[in-house]
Amino acid sequence: MAPDPTPPPEIVCTGLRKTFADGTEAVRETDITFAAGHTTALVGPSGCGKSTLLRMIAGLETPSGGEIRIAGAPPAETLRRAGLSVAFQDPSLLPWRSVRGNIELALGLARRPVDPAAIDQLIALVGLDGFGDTRPAALSGGMRQRAAIARALATKPGLLLLDEPFGAVDELTRQQLAQDLPRIWEAQGTTTLLVTHSVSEAVHLSDRVIVLSPRPARVVADIAIDLPRPRNVDGLRTPEATALIEQVFAELAHGIAAADKPLAAQ
Amino acid sequence: MTATTAGGLSSSNTTREHVSSWVGVLVLLAGWELAARLLTEAYVLAAPLEILRYLAGDWQLMARALSVTLGNAAAGFVIGNLAALALAALALVWPRSERVITELALLVFCLPLVATGPILRVIFGPGDGPQIALAALAVYYTTLIPVLVGLRAAPDSWFDLVRSYGRGKWSALIHVRAMAALPYLFTGLQIAAPASFLGAMVGEFTGAERGMGVLTVRAIRALDVEMTWGIATVATAVAIVVYLAIGALARRVLLADPPVLLAAPPRQGAQRRAWVTLSIVIVLALGLWAGAIWLFGLNPFFAKSPVQVFDAVFLASDAAETRATLARALGETAVFLLPGYVAGLLAGAGLAILLTLVPALAGAAMPLAIALRSVPIVTTAPLIVLLLGRGATGTIVLVAVMVFFPTFVACLHGLRQAPGQIMDVFDSYAASPFARLIRVRIPAMLPAFFAAARMAVPASVLAVTVVEWLATGAGIGSLMALSSSLSDYDMLWSAVVLVSVLSALGYALVGMVERRVLATYAPEQLS
Repeated sequence: MAPDPTPPPEIVCTGLRKTFADGTEAVRETDITFAAGHTTALVGPSGCGKSTLLRMIAGLETPSGGEIRIAGAPPAETLRRAGLSVAFQDPSLLPWRSVRGNIELALGLARRPVDPAAIDQLIALVGLDGFGDTRPAALSGGMRQRAAIARALATKPGLLLLDEPFGAVDELTRQQLAQDLPRIWEAQGTTTLLVTHSVSEAVHLSDRVIVLSPRPARVVADIAIDLPRPRNVDGLRTPEATALIEQVFAELAHGIAAADKPLAAQ
Repeated sequence: MTATTAGGLSSSNTTREHVSSWVGVLVLLAGWELAARLLTEAYVLAAPLEILRYLAGDWQLMARALSVTLGNAAAGFVIGNLAALALAALALVWPRSERVITELALLVFCLPLVATGPILRVIFGPGDGPQIALAALAVYYTTLIPVLVGLRAAPDSWFDLVRSYGRGKWSALIHVRAMAALPYLFTGLQIAAPASFLGAMVGEFTGAERGMGVLTVRAIRALDVEMTWGIATVATAVAIVVYLAIGALARRVLLADPPVLLAAPPRQGAQRRAWVTLSIVIVLALGLWAGAIWLFGLNPFFAKSPVQVFDAVFLASDAAETRATLARALGETAVFLLPGYVAGLLAGAGLAILLTLVPALAGAAMPLAIALRSVPIVTTAPLIVLLLGRGATGTIVLVAVMVFFPTFVACLHGLRQAPGQIMDVFDSYAASPFARLIRVRIPAMLPAFFAAARMAVPASVLAVTVVEWLATGAGIGSLMALSSSLSDYDMLWSAVVLVSVLSALGYALVGMVERRVLATYAPEQLS
């Protein structure tokens, strides 16, 4: 549909810090590089600052220190080209627009042409067939999140930022989406960052899982997920997958324990 | 379930409510007809059939007057609402000005129409100027405040969404703010439509050639019962029709009914900033006042500057006398105003509470009360004087009625806002209806009650001054009318300043009580 889908960028964060005006330290001195075209999951305890990290990469939050380069340029440049999409925790659908209307708005804001057939395809992909003309108020929480995912995909962004996009989606649909979405990302060539609580989801969807410590966020572990693709639900039950999930859990627990120690020492 | 109530237009409910409110109207009319027949000797009450007969006979006169007044009201409606939108836009692009804008707007809104009318008459001379200006003055504030609220009535993530596609403030304004503000704008317009009609009529009281206001003055002088009732009926019908028309338009445009409340509580700032704002407002008000006189080159005999008013009240040889006159008039007015205000609030809240104990009745009362809220009560002032005489009772009742309807509607609405989940918790403990009322519903009603109580301050001042002017011949309203006819402009301007400042102070006082109460019962309202 879009004549010129932006190529997936590499993202380099160097010495990235964020301290809010009220003194809350959300992210402490972090260096991460996200490879172009890969899917990376950010896992960490709630409130650890992973959403803040995502928002800084999206250019919605200004870092207190350090630098972010997306394809060598600051985030503002990607914003200016509408080269990214964010699926927020809260689906943030405008209530006065239908599912289709919300997708069209995103295309309009991103200055992309509107292709009705492509929109229908996306709506079908997220399992909202027949709900294209429904307003958000008449949809369940999970359906709204799926509509928000469809909207995020619509502009064919080179960079896709997903902030807990499956929180309210039911388990079966979630498994279906976990199978379908990576295919789209591969076909379109997308650098995807996924913030999530769910360890199995992180392992299932991504090429790499980064485990973050409790606030302020630091990288605790960086785990490559070299499971074969395409993956399906059964793939998660293989010994390799189980081992990876166990490893991520262990690192999470380790990060939390390490953060507790100074408190225990006092 | 939640989805439909949040977005849909509970249509099955409204059908039943329509039927029951029509039944309510019919019962009301039958009782009226009966009462009028019983009181036929007293020359106070005209029966509906007699009014219809009168209107049928004199419809040409009435139609001519109505078209004049409607024209002026429409012009004032457009001007006033455009001014409100312009002020809201200014507050949006320059947020630091918002408090000054709203406070100055309140002060101007508190100008007593009864006195600004004659002043504008001298400035504009004969013609439609004063009517249109008063209609505009009567509407802009009740549009400004909800629109200001509406422009912010969107979650942060919607703005993030717009930014994430590389767009800025303008896209956010067009795609998010404007749409989010629409329901609030319609609320303002619904209130504004009858208010503009009222403003135009008060403008006509000041010596227009034609219009409903002129007919009203003539009917009162002639003690023409049928004409008085006829005018009130037509004014009421027009107000209700316009109100319903805007409501119908809103329902076509919006996803849900427009919000019933018209104003959010004023935001609490740091104490020092509040004083800074107040000082800026006072300086600006005085500057605009003196500036307007200088700019338009108004005759100093008629147009008194701030310095002249100060001189008249504090320095002149008869200053003590002026102060005594003002104080005496204010005292007379307070005797009518305060009991009426309190009675209206109590009756409105009380009836709303009683009705929630009988849910079937509440469903019928809500649409009826919403429609009656739009009645320009002041145009019925002559009727209440006819019914209850020129004494204290009539005036107090009129003020109470003026306060009653908005309070009743707001409280009914507030009582319905009781959070369902908390009600479920109470149900699960088999709590009595009374316990639920005291512990859940009344606290849920308080924000709405106070919003109504605040807006009722200028409304009740308007009511009392108009009645004093038209009928009772006592109090500050009468003093203003008298000084304007005697060309005692020192006194007139002093009274205008006094009434505006006291109204604004009353509004602020209710706001202070409101913040204290809401801090306990509805802290989320104060964020």
